[in-house]
Amino acid sequence: MKRKLFASFVMAALPIAPLAAAPFQCPSIGGDLVFGQEANVNSLDQMTSSTISTRNIAMNIFESLMTRDENNRPILELAEAMEEAGDRLSYTFRLRRNVVFHNGKPLTSADVAASFERYKRVGLQRSTLDNVAGWETPDPHIFVIRMARPQPTFIEALSSFSVPIVIVPAELREDPPQQLRSIGTGPFRLLEFVPGSHARLGRYEGYQPNTGFEQRTGFGGYRQACLNTVTFRIVTEASARVAGLETGELQAVEDVPTRALEALRRNGAITLLPLQNWWIQIALPNTSTPPTDNLAFRRAVQAALGMEDIMDAATDGNYRLNVGFQYPHQATYTDAGKETYNINNPQRARALLREAGYRGEQITILTNRDYPAMYNAALVMQQQMQAVGINAQLRVVDWPTSVQMSQRLNSNEWHFYHSGWGTQPALGALATMQFLVSPNAAYRPRDNNDDPDVMAAWNDMNTLPTEQERNAAFARMQRLVLERVYAIPFGALTKVQAVRANVQGFVPFRIPRFSNVWIQR
Amino acid sequence: MIGVAVRRLLGAVPVLLIVSLISFGLMRMIPGDPAAAIAGLAATPAQIAQLREDLGLNQPVLVQLLRYYEGLAQGDLGRSILLGKGVFAATMERLPVTIGLSLYALAITLVIGVGSGIVAALRQNSWVDQAAMMVAMIGISVPNFFLGLLMIILFAVHLGWLPSGGYVPFGQDPMGWLRSMTMPAISLALLQAGLLARITRSTMLEVLRQDYVRTARAKGLPRRQVILKHALANALIPIATVVGIIVSLLLSGAVVTEALFSIPGMGQLLTQSVLSRDYPMVQGGLLLVTAFLVLINIGVDLLYAALDPRVRFG
Repeated sequence: MKRKLFASFVMAALPIAPLAAAPFQCPSIGGDLVFGQEANVNSLDQMTSSTISTRNIAMNIFESLMTRDENNRPILELAEAMEEAGDRLSYTFRLRRNVVFHNGKPLTSADVAASFERYKRVGLQRSTLDNVAGWETPDPHIFVIRMARPQPTFIEALSSFSVPIVIVPAELREDPPQQLRSIGTGPFRLLEFVPGSHARLGRYEGYQPNTGFEQRTGFGGYRQACLNTVTFRIVTEASARVAGLETGELQAVEDVPTRALEALRRNGAITLLPLQNWWIQIALPNTSTPPTDNLAFRRAVQAALGMEDIMDAATDGNYRLNVGFQYPHQATYTDAGKETYNINNPQRARALLREAGYRGEQITILTNRDYPAMYNAALVMQQQMQAVGINAQLRVVDWPTSVQMSQRLNSNEWHFYHSGWGTQPALGALATMQFLVSPNAAYRPRDNNDDPDVMAAWNDMNTLPTEQERNAAFARMQRLVLERVYAIPFGALTKVQAVRANVQGFVPFRIPRFSNVWIQR
Repeated sequence: MIGVAVRRLLGAVPVLLIVSLISFGLMRMIPGDPAAAIAGLAATPAQIAQLREDLGLNQPVLVQLLRYYEGLAQGDLGRSILLGKGVFAATMERLPVTIGLSLYALAITLVIGVGSGIVAALRQNSWVDQAAMMVAMIGISVPNFFLGLLMIILFAVHLGWLPSGGYVPFGQDPMGWLRSMTMPAISLALLQAGLLARITRSTMLEVLRQDYVRTARAKGLPRRQVILKHALANALIPIATVVGIIVSLLLSGAVVTEALFSIPGMGQLLTQSVLSRDYPMVQGGLLLVTAFLVLINIGVDLLYAALDPRVRFG
């Protein structure tokens, strides 16, 4: 059976996108908006970076064949139609007409092919194309992907915004990694980029909105640039971001610190926009070394933890308790394994410690100060573990070091590693659970020998033919991971963004979207 | 004089070699790698490993060292992993920003430090002396980061006189540059100004007690001439040495100030490069900054020689 996807069809299926009488029109055009961005950005090469700071800017410049909507479902972006062959061995994309790059060149399938070539060569997530045998361009507006073998989840992977296959002019094919020139088809074009300082984007007059939609949705939909320019200014200090917002030098900021919220709430010129489910705060055990290779010991730790206290310290109160690896609003959400969550039972923890034969060995909790939420969560976890008699000690390093240490095979330098999973849970179950199987298995099984039951569930998530079956496999995998304590998710962190009250149309999402945003005169 | 300059320049070569070796070694000794920083929080271990391979970070350390010195011998400082551009070009974009900030801060330091030090010495033990030294002590004691935050709240948020952050290039808008750099420069300068005021005061007091100053007064020279020509000219010799050190401190102190006020200077670049393990950028950037500081110190030595004939002819 063939599957066809048309932009208008997807639009009709979206509960979030109201069926407006007419496409979005900017209530006012013009104005310059300055956005205070917390993290430095060094490169705008969206094919080779998965950092949020790059995506913040680049996703306003570049577009892909497919992207995700407000509810994280795949939608068409530069393609107006997609047809999946009945045998799932080919995908035919019909490109939208009249799409023009920022350099004035019309988009053709040759540009799409060149972009795929570059991505296959240097793309950070080039494994997306592992099952792709090749592609063809039978017509300037037709792009066909040939699969080496069927991959039921291919469209999910192709539409991922983690490291998207952004479409660039064919002449950029040979641009080296991290050095992709910023020429896209998006509503904004790059005017100036000074790494460490700012990036300034300008409205692209030649932008062709996707008429398959009537409103912006997720990273796609019907988009319009209403602002003349958007400047992303790097303001790493939270207090300076807040001060800039108060003075009006910044019209929008991300990551407002909790200590500033009360004052900003009283300021009528500022609108606070909490972005729930920003990331899942998490600790991963090292199962290649004792005593965390012992299930009873891991269960003892799990039983000792109270998630309210951990999340409260990690987020200054901006959190929601959350079971597992997806969020309740997502279609794939399941509470499978909920009985393992937020147990906070010291007696049970002590009994499990006795069962595990724990004799007071030092347990090292690996964390970092680059992400305060991770450090604070680790600190409370340490105290809760100590309260049941575990000799828990913190090892605090910086983020790149903790990543490197956590990835060493058969390491005995740490027992629990603190991290935060942001983009992957938002992308869906498949993107998230890849962190729990080799070569990425965050619980570091000895010699990368995954738990065979977990692997079986993972394979089912990838290969079962229907979505329901794959979702059931995800629930099975989540239950296994939680019951065997290969991960300890603490809860969902809320990130607060804020805008000046005259900034309209700004809706918090995974990145700040500046299409369909205008300044009220 | 030329001989002094040549000798000092030749003496700088081993310094630069040692700095290059230390920076190379230290960067390789600290754990963590650039791939993890570039790939970001969301990257999987497989993606990080792949990126490490793509960036050529898997080569043996000795090979990397040889390539580094091979490049240095040809005047090539390498390419920043994170910025994707030449280290020299990246440094030349950022170093002038930091130098501009440091010079502005130095001007403030000299005016406040030397001025208040002289006044305090001339009015020793008066309320002026006490007040000047108390202000100097506050300048020394308050961290410039905290001072910067207080200034942002007062002058940007409440009074709206100055921008809370950001940078305007001097060539683009000199007044804008002045507005954007005033608070950072003051917060950076006050610590050094406090130190300089105390040093100037004690040096001036010492000089004012010298026989030649007493003789000048006894000859009936005007007070202004005695202070400026005889006392200050001699007091400037140790002060000039301290100013050389202050320039180094201002450049290194700019790291925190640049972060607070969102100024894209060398301090921010080097901090970010260290945190991201951008080896070429840290090695090359440090080498260039060291070279700049060496030149400053040679300049101070020459100034010292100009001020003190004993150095010039000794």
